[in-house]
Amino acid sequence: MIADRGGRHAVPLSALLAALPTLVGVGYAVAAATGLIGDGGRGFSLDRTAHVLAEHVVWRGLFWTLGTAAAATALATAGAVLLAVTFRGTGAADRAARALAVLPMAVPHLVAAAVFVLLLGQSGFLARALYAAGIARAPDSMPALIYDPWGTGFVLALAWKELPFLSLLAFTILATRGSQLEETARSLGAAPGEVFRRVTWPMLWRGILPGVIAVFVFIAGSYEAAVLLAPSNPLPLPLLTFERYTDPDLERRPDAFVLVLVGLAISAAAVAAHEWARSRQESFEA
Amino acid sequence: MTAGTRRTLLLIPLGLAALAPVAMLALTSVAGRWFYPDFLPGELTSESWRSLLDGNRLAGAAGTSLAVAAATAAVAVTLGLPLGRALARLNGWRRHLGAAAAFLPVAAPPIALATGLQLALLTLGLGGTYPGVTLAHAVPALGYAALYFLGVFLLLDPRVEDEARSLGATRVQIWTRVLAPMLRRPIAEALVLAFLVSWAQVPLTLLIGGGAVRTLPVEVLAFVRAGQDRYAATGALLLIVPAALAIALGLSARRSEPAPL
Repeated sequence: MIADRGGRHAVPLSALLAALPTLVGVGYAVAAATGLIGDGGRGFSLDRTAHVLAEHVVWRGLFWTLGTAAAATALATAGAVLLAVTFRGTGAADRAARALAVLPMAVPHLVAAAVFVLLLGQSGFLARALYAAGIARAPDSMPALIYDPWGTGFVLALAWKELPFLSLLAFTILATRGSQLEETARSLGAAPGEVFRRVTWPMLWRGILPGVIAVFVFIAGSYEAAVLLAPSNPLPLPLLTFERYTDPDLERRPDAFVLVLVGLAISAAAVAAHEWARSRQESFEA
Repeated sequence: MTAGTRRTLLLIPLGLAALAPVAMLALTSVAGRWFYPDFLPGELTSESWRSLLDGNRLAGAAGTSLAVAAATAAVAVTLGLPLGRALARLNGWRRHLGAAAAFLPVAAPPIALATGLQLALLTLGLGGTYPGVTLAHAVPALGYAALYFLGVFLLLDPRVEDEARSLGATRVQIWTRVLAPMLRRPIAEALVLAFLVSWAQVPLTLLIGGGAVRTLPVEVLAFVRAGQDRYAATGALLLIVPAALAIALGLSARRSEPAPL
């Protein structure tokens, strides 16, 4: 058909349009990281890449970023599954709980981070509440929960921020799937734990996996939450990239492009995983 | 533990997690002198809200954010709708490749996007300008819009268009008489989505705007870092408003119109 052929030609072009700015950015990053263009460029060389990738601070930042993103994603996922399984009914309490769980979706990441600064800072709400309760009587007796090397505040803030999105996904999956499969399993003699393990969980997990991957990659690339809550040692990958990119020493600025490529590699892996998870989901639904 | 107790035990922290942050921000936004370890502020003041109405830095930044986000939404939906439609008509690996291409700017770390875009926009002379920041915001917003419309058009039967064509509708008529009325809701939702992507954007604004374009999130970030909690909390509450409105409107629209699409 004529219309179809037109569509087929239009597509790679228009898809390219969406990806073009990113692809130009990748191209530039590759060229700048290998010394072909930009400040400190002296012809093709992998010296800079090798040098940056040999830095201890880069690896520490990368592991911190991946570790905290994994921890926050795992917390949010566990919370979403727990809420979805607990409040899947049609009663008033169930509907109220589902509305409450989804409500914080309106809060931008920056605001979520600001709230956790107010909550967990050394003279924040938690410290004041603990003082009032007679538990911690001085600001320094309060454990550091923000800027701490473990990223406690960062992980909690982002887990809280992403919980509504993953909960909404989990609610939707349970609502559209219904409970037929589970009832069948129960009538065949499966114990409640077994029904969850062998029916509910696999069904939920398949459905929310694309969302879980998106959340992970979003947290790993998060700039504003890291600025407000993350430690300076280890310095998270997005902050390290920003720091190098704006380094007063022009010689060091191209380092940022090596780090950009590391960040993009994480995203590319996530995009591939996301598409794989989505197509599995599509074939599951079909 | 019975299911009933577990539900009650869960409802309490759930309610706290949903409502306490806004309460904390509201209290901080009107707190006057408030020394540690007082749990509540010693005095209340409406100073930050009054100066907001007088048109202070925060008010100006909110205006900037509104304009940039509205322009971003217009650009992203104008390009994202035909892109999503085109992607939905592909099959197999082509659709996966196209969807991955649209997902790339969504998944790319904002810092990575910003460093690449800054070069392109500086070359065009758009660094530190409103159009430059808008175009930069439109890159991830377009990704979201395209993926959103991909989903919409996958559900929309393409035979509707064939039917209109066989009844003699022209290309333009198919868009104005058939698709536009059917897509009113999705278009409104996509506009909101793209608006919100721009509204909350930080790193792209910082790097492309180069300090000259002061959006609301940029000011709030500066106030938090400077320890000016009252202004930070006031701005943070403003930042929540559009998405909260969108969720409320979306819920009421869904209730009044049970069959989407």
